[in-house]
Amino acid sequence: MPSAAFFRRLRYLLNRRRFDRELAGDMEFHREMAARAGSGHFGNTLRLREEAREAWGWTWIDRLSQDLRYAARMLRRSPGFTVAAVLMLALGIGVNVAAFGFFDLVFLRPMPVRDPDTLLRFHRRALQSYAFALPHPEMAFFRENSRTLSAVLALTPTRLAVEGEEKQLMANFVTANFFSELGATARLGRLLDPARDEAADAEPVVVLNPGFWQRHFGADPLVIGKTIRLNDKLATIVGVASSEFSGLSLDNPALWLPITQQPYFSNGSRLLTDFSANGSVRMWGRLRPGFAPRAAEAELRSLAAELRKQYPTGVWKNESLPSDPGGYAKSLLIADRSGTGTEGRDDLFPVFALLTTLGLLILAVACGNLGSLLLARGVAREREIAIRVAIGAGRGRLIRQLFTESLLMALLGCTAGLAVGYVVLRSLMLFTETPAWLNPAPDWRVMVFAIGMGFAAAILFGLTPALQAARPRHRASIVRQFLVGAQVAASCVLLIVAGLLGRALTHAVSANPGFEYQQVISIDLGLARHGYSPARAQAYLDTLQSRLRVLPGVESVSLALSPPLGTRSEGAGLSIDGRALNVQINRVDPQFFQTMKIPLLRGRNLMRGDSHAMVISESLARRAWPGQDPLGKKFTMGEDYTIVGIAGSARLVKLEDSDSVEVYFLIGTADLPAMSVLVRTSAPPEDVARSVASTTKALDPGTFPEVQLLKAGFRRKLRGAEASALTVSLLGVIAHLLACLGIVGVVAYAVSQRTKEIGIRMALGAQPGRILSLVLRQFSGPVIAGLLVGVGAAAGLSSLLRGQLYGISNLDPITYLAAIAMFIVTVAVAALLPARRALRVDPLRALRYE
Amino acid sequence: MPKIEMPSGALVLLILRVLRSGALHGYAIAQRIHVLSSEVLHVEEGALYPALQRILLKGWVTSEWGISETNRKVRFYRLTPAGRKQLEAELSDYGRVHEAIQSVLRTA
Repeated sequence: MPSAAFFRRLRYLLNRRRFDRELAGDMEFHREMAARAGSGHFGNTLRLREEAREAWGWTWIDRLSQDLRYAARMLRRSPGFTVAAVLMLALGIGVNVAAFGFFDLVFLRPMPVRDPDTLLRFHRRALQSYAFALPHPEMAFFRENSRTLSAVLALTPTRLAVEGEEKQLMANFVTANFFSELGATARLGRLLDPARDEAADAEPVVVLNPGFWQRHFGADPLVIGKTIRLNDKLATIVGVASSEFSGLSLDNPALWLPITQQPYFSNGSRLLTDFSANGSVRMWGRLRPGFAPRAAEAELRSLAAELRKQYPTGVWKNESLPSDPGGYAKSLLIADRSGTGTEGRDDLFPVFALLTTLGLLILAVACGNLGSLLLARGVAREREIAIRVAIGAGRGRLIRQLFTESLLMALLGCTAGLAVGYVVLRSLMLFTETPAWLNPAPDWRVMVFAIGMGFAAAILFGLTPALQAARPRHRASIVRQFLVGAQVAASCVLLIVAGLLGRALTHAVSANPGFEYQQVISIDLGLARHGYSPARAQAYLDTLQSRLRVLPGVESVSLALSPPLGTRSEGAGLSIDGRALNVQINRVDPQFFQTMKIPLLRGRNLMRGDSHAMVISESLARRAWPGQDPLGKKFTMGEDYTIVGIAGSARLVKLEDSDSVEVYFLIGTADLPAMSVLVRTSAPPEDVARSVASTTKALDPGTFPEVQLLKAGFRRKLRGAEASALTVSLLGVIAHLLACLGIVGVVAYAVSQRTKEIGIRMALGAQPGRILSLVLRQFSGPVIAGLLVGVGAAAGLSSLLRGQLYGISNLDPITYLAAIAMFIVTVAVAALLPARRALRVDPLRALRYE
Repeated sequence: MPKIEMPSGALVLLILRVLRSGALHGYAIAQRIHVLSSEVLHVEEGALYPALQRILLKGWVTSEWGISETNRKVRFYRLTPAGRKQLEAELSDYGRVHEAIQSVLRTA
């Protein structure tokens, strides 16, 4: 029976000492008897015993613990080296742990909700359209009729004016089953309850986010039952959610309210009944046990077709409802995209690809550095190793021993790296105001990843030096040169990428973005939320514009569906010559170009009644019709449009993406309730903003317009770019510093190794220049090769960054030249500093040495 | 006379066989094999003890404390029922293989 044998074997492991003693006794007795019989010839007792013990199959444990003890002693004996090595590894592994931790949070780790795997997020798709939110009545129809979904959840985010708060706060209107379906518990009071809160006569209630509760109410435990004024309407506070509750959005809502009460807070809202895209909800479904996501999709598709018979304009032709796994943070990043044509490309992929590559590069530099250090140490330990060989250590055993030291070092580095990764991720998340439930603490996946990284690192930096040291006669400087080259290449890539990001940032701040934002105020009216019909919206907008125009300090007023530097965008995918273009659609009035100071380069402006005319940006004209005149050409986007004018390129929404191009249509009647107003001021916009706000509010006191400066939006946009530029620069500088330190180390080593030779040459009258070139020549090759490889790799890698560079080319020559120059100077300094020691060699001393 | 190296499989068989008649300590096992083989087979210490450890692990023999001829406390090895079964199996296998080899040697 194998298990019985296994247990016997285990018994041997656990009682190793006793069994070993008994074996020794047996053999000693054997020996005595043999000596008595006169046939006294024995081998090495220890060796024989070891061989016998091998039958138990546990010798490897003994050897390993021996190696580990020895390795620990060696590391303790040179604390300086150990600390330096562990720090280097902690950095290299930590960066990767942070990057993987982010990936883990977004893609791999289920959100803290009940049964995350049966949760599906749905979006709409038809031949020419896509949207990540659905009209409420459509969602309600699915909820009534679906048999594959046990529950349907919906959410719509809105900003609400809260009494006592200066700014409007984010609120999520949710279906009342939201909390119970997600398995949430209340910290205080109760959460929403379908039976009570969705009834027709239900009183208005609100659940508080714990952060808001602490900030606004000072964590008052008696808050339950109190009322709070939201958009000037009273609501009763029924509970506070627990702080672990994630909800289903990344915008950290302060409040949760039943979606059925949305019209109460938003005067005249038709969210619950309207099919128009102006009021739509994000939808999730809970899969009934035994059904696959595909079954749910098929069912919803046929339900949509059925609903279309009743509402032919509300539901799209051939509408399907694809699903994504809803229990992962990735599904929340999508928010509310919508548009025509194919869906825009995924912005996340390049970011992750870049992060991964940068992380691995840093690890490569750290490992290369450590490898050189170990090589040099291997030389210093030659004596020790020679002695061990002399007393019978086999080569394999020696390599194993040295590699165990590296593994132990990697283990320490891995532990420290986990801490570094946590700190990095934590501080980045604090900086970018990520919701608190996204917990950066490493889970088992991150731990396994860190251990894997440590092991890979140990192989990278430890194996070659171990092989070298165990076979000292063939010590090749090739390995050292390769390590130098690899470090140089990796740090070169990091420097260039950091340079590009930094330059993109300065460019974004200083360069003309194609429009003028410093003196513009944008007003989000939210008329659609208040159920304005297009005709009422038209009247309202006409009055508002005429009132705003006469305010002191106002220069011009215009309308736009997607205000510049805002979060709302409408896109269309378009592929020209195989390159995907991000076409940003904006619907504007004729005053828009003047208000935003976007020059009309050719053709004419949009005019009233231009229902099939469009103005395109110069960047689109250049790409779509190179060398031709696009004026008068037809362009198909859902319908045919005629190009009447070409405006200057102005990346109003996607400031950072040089592949984004713009098209402008005249406002359609249906869009009127969703319009934002843009006001250009001649006086400083801060001064005018107050009168603009009060004028707007006075026109319909039931609305809650949000007034913002475009400047503020611009600053918000840049904050992310600042964070990434700063992080990458920091990493680049650290990696480069490491690489330079590595060069200092190997050059110093080369000098010390050749002291005698240098002494002889100096005694024979060699010039200082000759001596320097003698020392440095062997490194010029690897450095130049590393530089070339690094520049090439940076050129390739940076194409991932195209969309984030604010119009700087990813092959920007200034950045490359500056980075290379900085690189050459620092590497030269790093090499010359230790090389100078060669010039100070005293020939007499050097010759007497040894 | 040159010493004849023993194939390790055969050693296990011999150890089991000499233990059939009763428990023996390690040295006695080696001696018994040596004597019974008319001093042809010589069991080295370096082969005997690893083989004994293997057999112990397989559960074919157990060890117990006993007193040696020289009045020393030593381990005696005793065949277990499983070991007895193993011995029978190996013996019959050996018999068949031996006959087969013999017949080849005789006729070829």
